[in-house]
Amino acid sequence: MAIAERGYTHWDGELQERRRPWWPITRHGIRLAFKRKYFKFSFFISLMPAFGFLVGIYAAEKIQDFKVMIKGSPTLLTVDPGFFRAYFAGEFLLFMMLMIMVLAGAGLIADELRHNALQLYFARPLAKKDYFVGKAAILVFFLSLVTLAPGLLFILFKLIFSGSFRFLGDYPWLPLSVIGFSALVTAFFSLYTLMISSVSKNRRYTAIMLFTIYIFSDVLFGIFYGSFRSPYFALLSLKVNLQQVGAAFFRVKPPFPVPWAYSLAVLLAVCAAAAVVLHKRVKGVEVIK
Amino acid sequence: MSAVIETSKLSKWYGNVLGLSDVTLSIEPGILGLLGPNGAGKSTFFKLLTGQLKPSIGTVTVFGEPVRNHHRVFSRIGLCPEQDALYEELSGWDFLANLLRLNGYGRAEIASRAERALATVELLDDKDRIVRGYSRGMRQRLKFAQAIAHDPEVVILDEPLSGLDPLGKRKLIRLIKDFGRQGRTVLVSSHVLPEIEALTSNIVLIHQGKILAWGDIHYIRDLIDAHPHIIAVRSTAARALAAHFVGEPYVHKVQFENSGDLVLFETTNRERFFDRLTRYAADAAAGVEEITSPDDNLQAVFDYLVGT
Repeated sequence: MAIAERGYTHWDGELQERRRPWWPITRHGIRLAFKRKYFKFSFFISLMPAFGFLVGIYAAEKIQDFKVMIKGSPTLLTVDPGFFRAYFAGEFLLFMMLMIMVLAGAGLIADELRHNALQLYFARPLAKKDYFVGKAAILVFFLSLVTLAPGLLFILFKLIFSGSFRFLGDYPWLPLSVIGFSALVTAFFSLYTLMISSVSKNRRYTAIMLFTIYIFSDVLFGIFYGSFRSPYFALLSLKVNLQQVGAAFFRVKPPFPVPWAYSLAVLLAVCAAAAVVLHKRVKGVEVIK
Repeated sequence: MSAVIETSKLSKWYGNVLGLSDVTLSIEPGILGLLGPNGAGKSTFFKLLTGQLKPSIGTVTVFGEPVRNHHRVFSRIGLCPEQDALYEELSGWDFLANLLRLNGYGRAEIASRAERALATVELLDDKDRIVRGYSRGMRQRLKFAQAIAHDPEVVILDEPLSGLDPLGKRKLIRLIKDFGRQGRTVLVSSHVLPEIEALTSNIVLIHQGKILAWGDIHYIRDLIDAHPHIIAVRSTAARALAAHFVGEPYVHKVQFENSGDLVLFETTNRERFFDRLTRYAADAAAGVEEITSPDDNLQAVFDYLVGT
């Protein structure tokens, strides 16, 4: 039967000017991630520290209820900027963020390179920046749920459990630090993941690379620091750089006596390199390379 | 009729390699066949038309608007790329719905368009199957469905018939011709002359990035017919066969091959030659076993047209 006989005629409706052309990409990516059981498990595990710290805030405020447990100690736990730094720059959370990136982000661009899907995207009313925003928003969504959301909840619960605004009076800058560091760590992991995802068509390779580069940078730091005892080798480690900057954001002593601005520069350099690589790799497929 | 697609001095280089050179075309609604061997520049031309490549020199406009970084115009264009561009893990329906979302349709419109496009390519019964399980023909039809699902006014089809069985080809040819009849602008590329002939009489011959000829296929056919054809005839009485033709004015050369049982004739008038050969072969004593035309392919035509 011919198309014309099926009534395949022009649509009379008006296409609306879309304010978020990247949203279909983001929604699709989030749905696909939640279809993977390993991702669901890892994401659930990555939320565990947040629950632990919330319980800690409750315990710290309701100290009377825990007298029996602490046996004369004046405080069970102090909720201060160090508490927040311990959460945000903690080894476990950073590791789980990496796992989220490996499981949800490794294939974001690699799969599309494998399926030659980029030409289909870019033959539609979608700009390259919308594509990047759509992909990055998937990672931002997951990372914000383990950084920004818990951080703001900690402050809120602290205020609720203490029954006063004194905490905010003591540390008025803390909400901004939570937002700022969450944004930095989210931007870093998102760009790092998208960059690695764009360098191969094989999601297994990109997953291995994501994991290996991050861990290897830390191992390299350990080797050099062990041999030369210079704290400046901390700049080699992506993880330590995040911890250094985290300490600066929450105004506590950094783990190594290296200016935190150096660590920030390293992280920003990685982000800039990622932007360049993404720009070069994500384009309509060339006929001849 | 006004031009929908216009290119002016369109050229593209990949480093030192020429992809497309000095292409100036004005394309009106209807089906236009882009004919050329592999590596001729057909895909480059389509990628320039869809804004995926930046021209080295020249301009390209669709509906009077430049395509590069002008994304709104793409809601009026449908592209069916040459390579597989399908998500293997998704069902045909999900694949189509996801792409339609990028066009900005709402949920109900997506459902109705996806259903209509899948029905058009006769994949509605298989819409919930994972693409990985689709046959080659089904994949081609799904690629075609995503190109037409948003009802574009310009449809660009890069080698849409490659790899299809004869039945699949016939179905897709019918669909493409229907689209052309609806007043849309359909660009189809192929390196197989009969495929293009089955679709349209309006063709562009492209070779090594350059437009060799442009116009009605009959004009191209005339050019082809003007070039000497080689026809090979295997016969048990090859010498008698050669003697029968050697005095004919349209036979320029007779040559024996394969220990004398194969005769190669060079002629500029295929019709007269075949007419006479048919009558000759009807006689059992002629011993004709096989007739082939070794240069009756697109490459031979290109070689002739470019004078190599």
